[in-house]
Amino acid sequence: MFGRKRKHSDFKAEIEAHLELETERFKEQGLSEEEARMAARRAFGNVTRAEERFYESGRWLWWDHLLQDLRFGLRMLRKNPGFTLVAVLTLALGIGANTAIFSLLNVIMLRELPVQSPKQLLLFGKGRAGGSDGQFASTELYSYPFYRGMRQKNQAFSDVSAILSLLFTKMHGAVGGSAELEPMDVQLVAGNYFSFLGVKAILGRSFTQAEDEPASGHPVAMASYAWWDRRFARDPAAIGKTVTLGSTVYTIIGVTPPGFFGTTVGESPDLWIPLSMEKQVSPGWNGLDDNAFQSLYILGRLKQGVSAGQAQANVNLLARQIWQDQAGATLTKRQQEDLAHAQIELTSAARGLSRIRFRASMPLQILMAVVGLVLLIACANIANLSLARGTAREREIAVRMSLGAGRARLIRQMLTENLLLALSGGAVGVVLAWWAGGGLLAMIPHGPEPLPLDVAPDARVLGFTFIVSLVTALFCGMAPALRATRITLGNSLKEGRGRISAASRTPLAKALIVSQVALSLVLLIGAGLFLRTLVNLASVNTGFNKENVLLFGIDPPAVGYKEDLRLVNLYQQIEQRVSALPGVRADSISFFTFDEGEWTGSVSVLGRTPTPEDDMIVTNNVVGPGYFATLGISLLLGRSFGPQDTANSPKVAVINETFAKWYLPGGSPIGRHFGLGGDPAHSNDIEVVGVVKNAKYQDLRERPFPAAYYPYTQHVQYLNDFEVRYTGSPEAIIPEVRQAIRQVDRSLPVAYSGTLMQQVNRSMEGQSLIARLSTFFGVLAAFLACIGIYGLTSYGVTRRTNEIGIRMALGADGSGVLWMVMRESLTLVALGVAIGIPVALAAARLVSVVLYGLTAADPTTLTLAALLMIAVAALAGYLPARRAAKVDPMVALRYE
Amino acid sequence: MSTQKEKDRLELLQGTLDLLILRTLIFGPQHGQGIGRAIQQTTKDVLLVEHGALYPALQRLEERGWIAAEWGTSANNRKARFYRLTPAGRKQLVKETTKWRRLAAAIGRVLGPEAGEG
Repeated sequence: MFGRKRKHSDFKAEIEAHLELETERFKEQGLSEEEARMAARRAFGNVTRAEERFYESGRWLWWDHLLQDLRFGLRMLRKNPGFTLVAVLTLALGIGANTAIFSLLNVIMLRELPVQSPKQLLLFGKGRAGGSDGQFASTELYSYPFYRGMRQKNQAFSDVSAILSLLFTKMHGAVGGSAELEPMDVQLVAGNYFSFLGVKAILGRSFTQAEDEPASGHPVAMASYAWWDRRFARDPAAIGKTVTLGSTVYTIIGVTPPGFFGTTVGESPDLWIPLSMEKQVSPGWNGLDDNAFQSLYILGRLKQGVSAGQAQANVNLLARQIWQDQAGATLTKRQQEDLAHAQIELTSAARGLSRIRFRASMPLQILMAVVGLVLLIACANIANLSLARGTAREREIAVRMSLGAGRARLIRQMLTENLLLALSGGAVGVVLAWWAGGGLLAMIPHGPEPLPLDVAPDARVLGFTFIVSLVTALFCGMAPALRATRITLGNSLKEGRGRISAASRTPLAKALIVSQVALSLVLLIGAGLFLRTLVNLASVNTGFNKENVLLFGIDPPAVGYKEDLRLVNLYQQIEQRVSALPGVRADSISFFTFDEGEWTGSVSVLGRTPTPEDDMIVTNNVVGPGYFATLGISLLLGRSFGPQDTANSPKVAVINETFAKWYLPGGSPIGRHFGLGGDPAHSNDIEVVGVVKNAKYQDLRERPFPAAYYPYTQHVQYLNDFEVRYTGSPEAIIPEVRQAIRQVDRSLPVAYSGTLMQQVNRSMEGQSLIARLSTFFGVLAAFLACIGIYGLTSYGVTRRTNEIGIRMALGADGSGVLWMVMRESLTLVALGVAIGIPVALAAARLVSVVLYGLTAADPTTLTLAALLMIAVAALAGYLPARRAAKVDPMVALRYE
Repeated sequence: MSTQKEKDRLELLQGTLDLLILRTLIFGPQHGQGIGRAIQQTTKDVLLVEHGALYPALQRLEERGWIAAEWGTSANNRKARFYRLTPAGRKQLVKETTKWRRLAAAIGRVLGPEAGEG
C-alpha cells in the first residue's frame, strides 16, 4: 500500500459535503444558519481527527516516522559536528577492531572451501598430524595402498580422494626449459582430487582418474591461478609449457580457479602433481606400495542419505580388514594392541584442513574477547556523551513533549540518532578493518611470508558488522534515551537555559564510569600478563646461542643428487669451503635447527623396550660435525662428530641430558648403546659418543625432551639446512657464502632464509600478536575511560562553580577544593578497580594456557595494572579539579 | 496498558459500525450523511454514531472492496459522495449478520429470559 487511490482533498471535500447536508437539515428543523452550522460540527465531532485517521489508514506509518527520524537525526548530528566526529571515530575504532578480528576468525575458522557441496566432505582423522607416520594402523595419516582399498570397498562415500599431508615448499624447478631455477610449492594429490572436489580448470583440463596409474607415468601438473598470474601474466599459452623438477619434466595441463587454494587453509600450492609421481618428486620415497609409509590425508564425500555416523562405522570396519590384510597372517603383540586401539574419527572438512586453525584459534578467540570489551567501553563512552547531550537537550525534549510528542516516539528518535552514529562508525570500521586485515594476517604465526588468505570482508563479515552496529546503537542509546525522556515538564521548562537538573543524570553516568574503569583494568591486566609472557619467552634459555647465526636453505634433489656418497661429499665440501671464509666461526649442514618440524621415533635400550605407557620417543636430528659449535650447544661429556665417523665406522650418536637421564640412567652414558625404532629385535647398534645440554627444539615453551643427533655420514639423506656462525656484518658474509657454495656446485639452489634469531622470534609471533594488540587495546580502553572521567568531573566542576565560590569565600583553601573534587572521581576509580580485579582474575584463568612463566593471578601484573589505571584516572580527574581550585570566589559568586 | 484497552474498544466498535453501514446500504446507494442519519433513525436514536467516526469506517470498507463510491448529486441538489454495496460486500453482510445473530442469541441464552422489570 504505497500509493493511495484517493486523494486527501477528496476526503476533505466529502466531509465538507457532509457538513453542508447536515446544516441544511438543521436549517429545515428551524435553526438559524449559524446555529445549524454549529450543530452540524458538534454532531460530526473532531474533523481533524477524522482526517488524521484517514491519513494514517493504509500507510506504512512507521516508515514515515523512520524517514522523519532519520532526517531529524542527520540534522542533529550535523548541528554538533564535534560530538558526531568523536562518536563516529570512537565507534569506528571499536567496531573496526571487531570486524578486523572477526574477518580473520572468519577466514581461518568459519569460511567453507570454494568447492562443490563442501558440507559433504569428511576427513579421516582430525588433520592434526602431518608428514609420515610409521606406526601400524595410524588413524591420522594413511598409506597409499590403504587409500586404494578404502576407495574401492567403502559403501558410505560417493568418492574418496587423497592428498599428501605435507606441501613440498620451495622446490626448485625450471620453467619452460630455462636454466634458471625458481622456488615453487608443490602439492601431490590423487588423480581424482579435482573431480572429487568439483573444481574445474578455468583453462586446460584438470587431472583424471587415469593419472593415478601407472606409477611414474604421468608427468603433468596443474598450475594455481596465483602462480599462473605471477609467472605467466595469465597467458593462455602457459598450457603445454613444461616445468622441470629434479630430472623429471612435467607438462602444465590446466589452471585452477582464482579462489581455490587447495584444501589446506593457510597453504597455497603453486603446482599440483599426481601422487603417482611421488617417487620422482621426492626421490627415495616409496610411498605408492609401502604399507608402512603412512603420509596421506584421506577425504571422503558422503553419499546422499548416509549419515556421518554410518560412514564412520563402515570406515572403521573396512579399515580393520585392510590393516589386518596388510599385516599378514601373524600380528605381533604390539600390532594387535595397535589394531585394537585404532579408531578412525571422521571430521568435517567443509572448511578445509588446517593446522593453522589449531595454532591460531586460541589467539583469535582471546583477541575477539579483547575487542569485544573495547567495543563495550566505547559504547559506555558514547552513552556518557549522549547523556551529557541529553541533559543539554532537556529543554528541547521538554518542549517537544509538551507539544504532544509521545515518549516512545522520542526514544525512537534518539535511538535512530544512535543508529546513524553506529552505522557510520561501522562503515568507517569496515574500511579500517580492511586496511588492517593484511597487517594482522602478517602477524599470525606462520612463517616468513604472510598466510595466503583472502581477508577481504565477505557477506558474513559485513553481516557481523551490521549486527554489531545495531547492538551498539541499542547499547549506547537506550539508557540515555530513557533517562532523557523521564523528565518533569514543569521544572525543565521553568529552568534557565544554562541551568540544568544535572543531579538526576549523575548516578547513571557514574555507573558508566565505574564499569569503564573496571573493563579497562581487565584489559590492562590482560595486556600485562601477555607482555610479561612475551618477555619470559624471550628470555627462555634455549640451550643454543641464537645470536650471530645465519640460516641458508639448499636443495640438492633439485639438481639431481641421489642419496649416496656424492651427496655426503657435497655437504662436506660446502662446510669446508664456507668455514674457510673470514668471519665464519663455524658452519654445519643439518636436518633441522629450531621450530622446523621434527623427526620423532622411539628408541630401544638393552633391557628396556617401549610400551604404550613408556613409548621411549626421542626427537632426532641429522647433522654435520660442526653443528654443536655453530648452534652454540655445549658439549657436556664425550666428543662431537668427526672425520672418524664414516659410513663404514661403527654407528654413533650424540644425545642430550634428558635422553641420558630417562633412558640411560646410572653411570656415564658414553659408550653405551641404543637402537632406533621400537622393535627390540632391531640391534642396539648405535653407540653414544657424546652428551650435550638440553635445548629447545620445536617451541620455547616445551619441556626438556630426549633428543639424539646422528652424523650425516651415517644417515645419508637430503638435508636442506645450512647454518653459519659468523662475526662481523652479515651483509658482507651472505654473498660470500653463496659464492663459496656456487664454487662447490654452480647449479645448486641456495636461499638465504634469515637469522636464527628471526627464526626464534617467529615462533613467538602468536604470543607477540596477542601482546601487542591487547596492549594497544588496553591503552585505548584506559584512554577512553579517562575521557569519561575527565568529562564527568569537568562537568561537575562547571555546575558547582557557584558552590565552590561560596566555599572559598567562606575560607576553604585551594587544596581543600582540589581534594573535594578529586575525591569524587577517585571514589569511582577505586570502585571500578575493586570490581575489575576479580573480573580480571576470572578472565585470566581462561587464558592461562597461553601464559608462560607466570600464573593468571600474577601479583606484580595485577598491582602494576591497577596502579597504572589509578594514576591515569587520577590525572584525568586532576585537570578539572585544578581548575576548580583556581576558581576566583568573586567571579564565581557573580556567575549567573 | 491504556493503548491496549483503547484498541479493544475500537475493534468492537468497528465491527458493529461496519455491519450497520453495510445493512443500511442494502436499500440502495446512499451518501455518508444519509447513512449516519439512517442508522440513527432505525435504531431510534439508541445508537448515536459520531459522524467523525463514520468516514474513516467508510474509507476502510471501500478499501476492502465491500462498498464502492462515486460523486453524485443529493436529493436536495447538493454534491455528495454516494456509496453502494458491492457483491463482495453483500456476501460480507450475510456473513456478519449470521455471526451477529448467533452471538446475540447466545448471549441472550446466557442472560436468560428478561426478568420482571415491569
